[in-house]
This record gives sequence, structure tokens and C-alpha cells, in this order.
Amino acid sequence: MKAREIPHFGQSIRVRHADLWYGAFHALKDICIDLPSRTLTAFIGPSGCGKSTLLKCFNRMNDMVEKCRVSGEFLIDGVSIYGKIDVNALRKSVGMVFQKPNPFPMSIYDNIAYGPRTFGVRKRAELDAIVEDSLRRAAIWDEVADRLNRSALGLSGGQQQRICIARALAVKPSILLMDEPTAALDPISTEKIEELCLELRKTTTIVTVTHNLGQAARISDKTAFFLSGELVECGDTKQLFSAPRDERTRRYITGKFG
Amino acid sequence: MNKVRVKEFLGKLIFGGAALFCAASVIAIFAFLVFKGFPAFQKIGVWEFVFGDVWSPSRYDTYDAPLSGYYGIFTMIVGTIAATAGALLIGGILGYFTAVFLTFFCPKKLQGLFASVIHLLAGIPSVVYGFFGISFLLPLLSLVSPNNGSGLLAASLILGIMILPTVTALSQSALESVPQSYYDASSALGCSHAETVFRIMIPAARSGITASLILGVGRALGETMAIVMVAGNSPTYPKGLFHSFRVLTANIVMEMGYAGEVHEGALVATGVVLLFFVFLINLLFLLRSSKAIREKNKKTSVRKPIVRQALLPHTPTLGRLLSVLSAAFCSTILLLLLGFILFRGLPPLLSRRYLLFGKYEFGGAQITLLPSLIATLMAVLLSLGIAIPLGVMTAVFLHEYTKKNSLAVRLIRSAIDTLAGVPSIVYGLFGVVAFLPLFGGSSSVLAGSLTVSLMLLPTVVRTTEESLAAVPDGLREGSLALGAGKVRTILRLVLPSALSGIFSAVILSIGRVIGESAPFLWTMGSVMTAIPRSYLDSGTTLSVALYQLAGEGWHIEEAYATAVILILLVLSLNLSARAVIGHLKRKSTKGKEARSR
Repeated sequence: MKAREIPHFGQSIRVRHADLWYGAFHALKDICIDLPSRTLTAFIGPSGCGKSTLLKCFNRMNDMVEKCRVSGEFLIDGVSIYGKIDVNALRKSVGMVFQKPNPFPMSIYDNIAYGPRTFGVRKRAELDAIVEDSLRRAAIWDEVADRLNRSALGLSGGQQQRICIARALAVKPSILLMDEPTAALDPISTEKIEELCLELRKTTTIVTVTHNLGQAARISDKTAFFLSGELVECGDTKQLFSAPRDERTRRYITGKFG
Repeated sequence: MNKVRVKEFLGKLIFGGAALFCAASVIAIFAFLVFKGFPAFQKIGVWEFVFGDVWSPSRYDTYDAPLSGYYGIFTMIVGTIAATAGALLIGGILGYFTAVFLTFFCPKKLQGLFASVIHLLAGIPSVVYGFFGISFLLPLLSLVSPNNGSGLLAASLILGIMILPTVTALSQSALESVPQSYYDASSALGCSHAETVFRIMIPAARSGITASLILGVGRALGETMAIVMVAGNSPTYPKGLFHSFRVLTANIVMEMGYAGEVHEGALVATGVVLLFFVFLINLLFLLRSSKAIREKNKKTSVRKPIVRQALLPHTPTLGRLLSVLSAAFCSTILLLLLGFILFRGLPPLLSRRYLLFGKYEFGGAQITLLPSLIATLMAVLLSLGIAIPLGVMTAVFLHEYTKKNSLAVRLIRSAIDTLAGVPSIVYGLFGVVAFLPLFGGSSSVLAGSLTVSLMLLPTVVRTTEESLAAVPDGLREGSLALGAGKVRTILRLVLPSALSGIFSAVILSIGRVIGESAPFLWTMGSVMTAIPRSYLDSGTTLSVALYQLAGEGWHIEEAYATAVILILLVLSLNLSARAVIGHLKRKSTKGKEARSR
């Protein structure tokens, strides 16, 4: 069976005057931000500042939240993603990795093949190729190659998270969203994931939310600082960490509040 | 892409349709009861019906002619209240102390054992309890009573034992949810274990314990077959411990088979009165358990004056003694019941092969249970075949598709919860007035199975919903974030993860179909002599067969053998359920164990 024709979304994100409410709570206030193609952008800021909320707007995972209301423009390569589009196709193009590793309760192989199968890939040889390629790109092939048929739940937390990354890569996303991908992991696993991000950036636009300022400084091209629903400052990572324009950014990165 | 849209739409349509069907069947049940009962209320008069104390129906009474019979159910209302109170006195107190024992005084090694004692007591079909009453309790009581032993005492004892597992299980979970910190604080003040338990832990769980008692009362009100077998059933007031009396459920089940026009209406009206009591109790339960929840959430809950707690009628040492005795009593009852019935029933079962595989001879002494076994199997297959898919789909709709607090969902959910509280005899009543006319007025396996599948629905929906709630949201998000649709997410991820819950719904349902007899008696018929050739033939399930054999008194050994089969079925269901659910749980947590190693 031939894979179905699915509209593909591009790689650059542009947000104009975005507001978001959870019921009466104004969670995002007039956000304007540009995330160019094939860059790695880090969202930083104290808990509850809206960075994860903004992230989830890019693949419309906020749709599931009750009483959530969004306004403003969200464009991917000029296409409005809150317009008349196929949400599932959007999510195929815009992959996501969650804070807590969430492998499905099935074998490693089936975890990776879940996405391609969803979109109509049935041939074993084709699936085999996708699974191996995705696992290699997620830098975990060597660790699991001999036990692809074992349950993914038996892996360590760091391995599980890389399985989830491989799972996201298997549908060939052009953008990858990461919601605190290393928050639940130990330092060694964290390092592996950071290296992986640097590698993936060459082909994919990556947006990552992190509480780890060191991590933002190490891996990102651009950094955006959020505070109580507002985008305070967004710029090149080096510039933002060495010479922040805003006093609030300076106080946050020097550990004065947050 | 259109294909996916269509699939999503179809999914929503099918799941939503199932939910709507459930809601509609609730409405249908109540509409039928009102529709059939209202004329009777009108003809007889509400006051005369509820407070009249002569029940002497005439099957020739019609709505067009003056009444020649008398239709007053007050004696039965009093009887129901008396039997329920007696059951509460026995089962409530025993259940409460058993729960205290299980939670606080049971040695760790014996906990599993006592838990299975309670499980088994809960699983034994009500006809088996009734049969135990007839064959063991009544002869025993007749030693001291002026009659054959039937009456209020026997009914209260049997009902009490039947509600005991309910009270125990719910009280236990209430006691277990008391924070450990209370216990630690009391111990740190130098109080002994027993003092802490009775002065601190139990008062803290009081709301939950009361709720468990109320639920026990609900069960006692709706119980039919066991009480029919030991109460004597003459429509008079219960004037003493050993005086034949009748309860509301008994009135329905005993006369439904041959009722005339007004008579049938009066029986439906009896069902309406019964439902009124059940809903009153459910309302009380809701108020009480919402109070328990409020108290838990509200840190500054105001307790009743400490004096009243000090008046709790037991000193810690006495309390501990009582709790041990109660638990011992439960185990004794179970052993006695199993031992007695196995002792009397196994020999005939083993020595007479024709009991299981023989051919029925009309007028002969030989009885075979083969037709009943086959009819039971047919009923299990059809009623589960209807109730499981419908219930699971409804649960999926309620849990996966709807916003939690929308009005429609709240309505559907409360409709299903209402259905859960309806006594099984009322389903039987509904089956007789609604399904039988569809099939030419005669009973059939089909009508019985349809009736019982309605009865199974609420349990299936609830159990499935609970297991859906236990599936972590991370799985759903992970799948949706990959671009998978809702239908695929549900079918490939959510339902497989909820399998153990669905499976326990299946086992529970099989147990109920095998154990229930009241809803089958008049819908499925009483033909135990011939193997049903199709779903349109009549037949008896094993439970109904036991009721008939026990009632006739001709084939008492065969009755024992039937009871043995029922008990063995329940036992093996219980064991297999535990084995399979344990296996599924292990399978899903296997990963975690492997990691921690």
C-alpha cells in the first residue's frame, strides 16, 4: 500500500500578537517571535511563565485543554496553523518530545513504527529501514539493536527518552518541539540528549523548553526569556547571556529570582 | 486524508451512539414502570395501595370493571423495613468489626486469606444462600421455633451474611484511607495500638463507614431470592421472630408469572415503591459520601463533640476482641456453607452421571442438569455479547470524547449510576412488561438475556471507565503528538492498556449472569427439562434450576448437586480472574521491575 499524500509543513515559525487564555487566566500576552529554519531555540523562564504553553501552540496540543482559547497568528512557512488545516498532518510535521519519557507499552520496534504505520507504511522492509534510521539518529541504535522486540518499558529513563525522540523522528518532522526533555534524567543521559540535539539541528528546527540555563547556553542558537506570560527578550544565545538588554533577564540569568 | 476524517467521524458516532443507547434504556425502564404502574395506582388509589394491609389480588380484575381483590402492600413495606433493619444489625456490625480486624489486627500472613474469604462470600449466588437457609438454617431454627423456623430471624440472618462483604469492603477502604500520620501521632503520645485504632483511626473514618452501612442497606432492600426462600411469604406483618412475612421484592417475584391486568399493574407499582426506597437510600449514600469527601478536603473540619466519641460503646480491648470474633465468624460461616453443601452435594454429583449428561425422562425420577447448563452458557454468551461491547464503547465515549463537566455527559453518567442502584428484580419486571410482548408473550432465552444485559451495563461502564482513567495521559499525548487520530489512539493504545479492567468487567459479568435468578425467572422461563434449541426457546439457568428444585422438595439431592456446581463455577471464576488480572498487571509493570534490577 502506498503511503497517503499528506500536506507537509515547513521549517520556520512566525508568531504575531498571540494571546492565550485558560478560562479567565491570561497565560500568553501578545507574543511576537520568529524562529528561523534549522536553528535551535531555547525557551527559558520561571515555572508558569507560559513557555510550555507557547510550545504546545506550535502543534496545537492545547486543543485538548478544556476552556483554552487562542488568538493571534501562528505561521509555519507562511501557513496559518490555526486556520483550515489538518491537525494530524500538522503534528506529523511538528514532532514533540515530552518532559516525562512516555514510551508506549509495546516493543521498541513497534514504538518507532507506530507513527509510520499511522500514515500508511505497511511494508516490513520499509519499516525496518525507518526504525533503524530513526534509532541511529537518536543515538540509541547500538544499545537496543539486539532487543528490538523487547518492551520499551524495560529501558532506563535516559534510553526511554531517546526512544521517544526516535519515535518522533520516524515520521520525519521538519520541526521538533522538546518540553523539558532532560528534566527527569541523570547528568550522563542529559549529556547524550544534548549532543543529539546539536546533531539534529543540522536538519531540523528545534524548540526546547528548559529550566537548565547551562543547557540553554550550551546548545541553543537563540534564547527566549519569558516572564508571567510575556516574552521579555529574545536574541542570540551568546548575546542574551553575556549582555541582556532587559534588566529582568539579567536578574533571572544571574539567579536573582525565579 | 478524507479517509481519516471519515474514520474519526465514524468512531465518534459509534461510541456516542452506544452512550446514547445506554441513556435511552434507562429512560425506557422508568417510562415503562410509570406507564404500567400509573393505571394501577389510579385504579387502586395511592393511599389504599401504600397503606392498605390486605393483599388478596384477583387475576380477573381489569381496569374497566370494579375491583374484586384487595391490593394493599403496607404489610410488605413493614416486612421489608424489618428485614433490612435485622440485616443491618447483623451484617452491619459483623462487617464493621471484620473490616477493623482486616485493617488493623490481622497478621500480615493471613491478610490474603481473609481477603479471599470476603471475596468468596460476596461471590456466592443469592439462591445458594437461600438454599443454605432452607437446608441448614431453618432445620436448626425449628428446634426452638414454633414453626419450621422461617420468618424474620432467618431472613435477617441470611440477609445479614449477604450484606456483610459489601460493608466490610467499603469500611475497609475507608479505614485504609485515614492518614498514617494520625496513627504515628497517637503512638508518639504513648497510646497502645488498640487505643489508637479505636480512639483515633475509626472516628476519623466515620463518614466512610456510615456510607458503607448505607450501601449495605441498599443491597438488603433489593435482595430477592434468598429472602423468598426463608421468609415464609404470607402477606402479613412480621409479628415475631418466627412468623411468616413477605417483603416487596418477594411479592413481585412470586406473583409475576400468573398476574392478571390490574394485578400486574399492582406488581409494577410494588416495584415503583421499592425503587422509591432504593433511591432514598442512594440519596443518603451520596450525601454521606460527599460529606466524607468534603471533610477530607477541608482541613478545618469540625468534629462532633469529643464526648460523643468517648461514648462509642467499646473499650479498646473489648473492641479488639469483637473484631477478632467477627472475622472468625465470617470464616466459620464460609466454611460451614461450603462444607455443608459440598458434603451433601458432591456424592450425588459424582455417583450419578446422568445428573450432568443424562436425558430427562418425563415422569421419571431422573433429573439432568444438562439443559440448564446449556441455557446458562447461552445466556452468558448473549448477554455479555451485548453488554460488554456496548458498555465499553459507552465508557470510551464518556472518558475519551467528552469534556468532563458538560451537561449531556453529566446526564448520561447519572443515568448510568441510577441504573446501577436498581434491584435485579426490577429488571425482571421490566423484562416481563417490555420484552415478553415482543416475543409473543412467552419467555425465552433471548428475552432473559436481553433483560440481564441491561442489568450488566452499569457495572461494565463503571469498571471500564475506571481502567481508562488509570491509563496515563502521557500515552495519549504521545500518540496524538505523532499525528495519530483519536480512533487510532484509542484502539491501538488506550484500550490495550485498559485490558485488565475490561477483563475484570467480563469476569464480574459472567459471575452475575450465573448467580442472578430473579431477573431470569419470568423472562427466560422455567423449562428445565429440554435443551433449548434456539434463543427463542425457554430455559432455566442453573440458579433458577436450584430455586425450583429447592422449592419443589422432591429432588433435594439434585438441588445439593446444583448448588455444588454453582459454587464450583463461582470459585473457579474467582480464581481465574485473579490469575489473569495478576498476569496482566505483571505484564504491564514488567518493564519497571526489569529496570530496578
